[in-house]
Amino acid sequence: MDNEKIKLRLEHISQSYIVNDQIFDAAVDVSMEVRDSEFLVILGPGRCGKTILLNMIAGLEKPADGKIRLDGEDIQGSDERIGMVFQKRALMPWKTVMENVEFGLKIKRMAKAERRKIARKYIDLVGLQGFEKSYPDELSGGMKQRVSIARAYANNPEILLMDEPFGALDAQTRYAMEEEVQRIWQTEKRTVIFVTNNIEEAIYLADKIVLLTSCPAHVKAVYDVDLPRPRNTIDPKFLQIRKKISENTDLAL
Amino acid sequence: MKKEKLFLSEYEHKELFRKRIYRFLPVLSILLLLCLWLLASSNPMSRFPSPAGVWERYLKILEKPIKDLGLLGHIWASLKRVFIALAFAWTLGISFGILIGWNKKANAIFGPIFTAFRAVPPLAWVPLVTMWFGIGEFPKVLIVFVGALMPVVVNTQAGISNVQREYLDIGTIFHANGRQMLFEIAIPSALDAIFAGIRNSTSAGWMVVLAAEMLGGKSGVGFLIVRGMDSGDYELCLLSMICIGVVGYLLAIVIQLLERIICPWTTKKSN
Amino acid sequence: MNHSEQTVRRLTDKERIAKVQSEKRRTAYQLTMLSIVGILAFLLIWQLAVYSGLLSSRYVPMPSDVIRLLFEKWSDPNPDGAVLGVHILSSLQVALTGFFLAIIIGVPLGLLMGWFKGFDSFMRPIFEILRPIPPVSWIPITIIWLGLGLQAKAFIVFFSAFVPCVINAYTGIRQTSEILINVGKICGASNFTIFRKIGIPSAMTMIFAGIRVALGNAWATLVAAEMLAANAGLGYMIQQGRSFARPDIIILGIVIIGTLGVIFTWILERVEGKVLGWKK
Repeated sequence: MDNEKIKLRLEHISQSYIVNDQIFDAAVDVSMEVRDSEFLVILGPGRCGKTILLNMIAGLEKPADGKIRLDGEDIQGSDERIGMVFQKRALMPWKTVMENVEFGLKIKRMAKAERRKIARKYIDLVGLQGFEKSYPDELSGGMKQRVSIARAYANNPEILLMDEPFGALDAQTRYAMEEEVQRIWQTEKRTVIFVTNNIEEAIYLADKIVLLTSCPAHVKAVYDVDLPRPRNTIDPKFLQIRKKISENTDLAL
Repeated sequence: MKKEKLFLSEYEHKELFRKRIYRFLPVLSILLLLCLWLLASSNPMSRFPSPAGVWERYLKILEKPIKDLGLLGHIWASLKRVFIALAFAWTLGISFGILIGWNKKANAIFGPIFTAFRAVPPLAWVPLVTMWFGIGEFPKVLIVFVGALMPVVVNTQAGISNVQREYLDIGTIFHANGRQMLFEIAIPSALDAIFAGIRNSTSAGWMVVLAAEMLGGKSGVGFLIVRGMDSGDYELCLLSMICIGVVGYLLAIVIQLLERIICPWTTKKSN
Repeated sequence: MNHSEQTVRRLTDKERIAKVQSEKRRTAYQLTMLSIVGILAFLLIWQLAVYSGLLSSRYVPMPSDVIRLLFEKWSDPNPDGAVLGVHILSSLQVALTGFFLAIIIGVPLGLLMGWFKGFDSFMRPIFEILRPIPPVSWIPITIIWLGLGLQAKAFIVFFSAFVPCVINAYTGIRQTSEILINVGKICGASNFTIFRKIGIPSAMTMIFAGIRVALGNAWATLVAAEMLAANAGLGYMIQQGRSFARPDIIILGIVIIGTLGVIFTWILERVEGKVLGWKK
């Protein structure tokens, strides 16, 4: 990693909720650093903490404790420089693919011709030319996620958050989408924070993996993945890292 | 073309037989209905109109109008009232529904009063309205308006206040302001609920206009029914009822088409 | 950033829970206050409008008049010939009879139609023909057939409540999850058992939605029927109020009709909560 600039920093982040008159700690003292144009994967078991961390970075929730710094400054609420790709219900079913992708630009009140041009560029980037006028319900799961990615990219974020975007897809599509994301990221480099519970997916995509414990989540270990891309999932070095991580992972029942 | 011989198991034979009977049954039931009708009308004790009588009456009304209006004229008179009332009910109702669905404070202030008014059946307002405004066009349209307003507001409010959290989150992430959240996300997401309200209000409006006409007036299908009753012209009554059913059915179809046009995404489903 | 700073800044768990709960209560309190203010403002404006002569008291009674009439009418049979209690009872009788009959006949009919294809093919066309005709327009035919009286009114009320019961029971049971049905089949259950133990319970939500609509319909149709042909009941009382140019009677009738409607809906919701308790 030659670019040493720290893009995003989480400092001692904690989050808890009050459920039925009891305090429930979701995350405790989580700290991590993300470098510029780095592909960071947050790996963790089950349904704990990972999405909540992303929500806090995206500004959908406020942390109970700790600070989030973007380019050295504290983030207030949801920042324009941060984009997000969700797992479920990511697209607005009443808008066409084109309208979904240009959504962020429309909010910014960009002129129609201009935003169409940008949207078209990213629709082509994710390989969905010809589907501009389709509605989300006409698309397959993988295609929907590609639109979601195009939409996030079109808004030109500096940091792209992806919350288990392939969790709802079948295995084949998932592999294909992992390659897609990998390809798109290499074409248009952004800082990416990717959340998953799949070890292989993490190693395939990441420059750095942050392994979380199960609830209450905190950082268990950090792994640097220094393999050349695109990665081979049966390469001995790949499998070595895989073994190391899987032995260290908490299993959630 | 080679003719293929079908070899069916015993089970498949039975299934095929059953399907054939199923296709025949609807015809049977309609015939039964017609028989019942003939039976009821041929009974010398009751004055129930016969199918033949209704048909004759239909022909007669084509030649001789009642109160200067042919059958179509009366139907149109009723429809006109419904359309005007619906136009107002939809504009005001959807706007008001959006207001109390989106804004918690407005809901707190206006909600209870509206719930109170909603519990009153629209026809209960008729005596009051006729007392204030007489038996002209305006009071009728007003009553239909009241009857059609309620479903629209209730459904719109439900639709707007139940927008999926995920869609609002998308708006937050993309930095949409309140107005954009409302118009780009909340309202389109609520459109299917709004159309449910529109459908209900149309059928409610059609019902109310007939009742309002029955309670006093000089035109309209409801008026025809009452006229038939008063003058012992029961064929007219039944004829009007058939017209009412047909028009009601057509209205429902029109609304369905309208929904398809405004919300093209509801019909698209991938496998 | 060391540990002691954090422990000093954090409130104890109990304090945090208390803080969040009191905030929730405060917002709820604010909204309730707004509602009360809204209702009171409405009544006040109404009262003042009539009192000041802005709205003529010949057409609009004051809220205070209506309340006064409420107490008077319990014992005063003028001018429509019956005490308030008699009207209420008469309306309730007809409405509830028609309503319950509609449920008892309509829901099973809808369920059977939805489950057994033969039954469905037979009943469907009759149903589709009769459905678009609004209950109100059945009134004259019913009167021709059954005359003016309790029977006619009950039939109309019954019919208006009957239709939504059938439709919703039908739709509800047709939505039964295929997966659950297959589970039943694999366990060796007969068609009827699957119908009883899987189909009906899963259709319950829609059935209750239909019952809610039926209640509203029954109540509304009752009022209409009483206005057109009756000599007792709340609808009749309102009509009489008009004949005697007594807007206070009309408004009283409207208020009582509305209140009873709300009470019924509330009762229905409690029953639904009990039966569908597992839904939570």
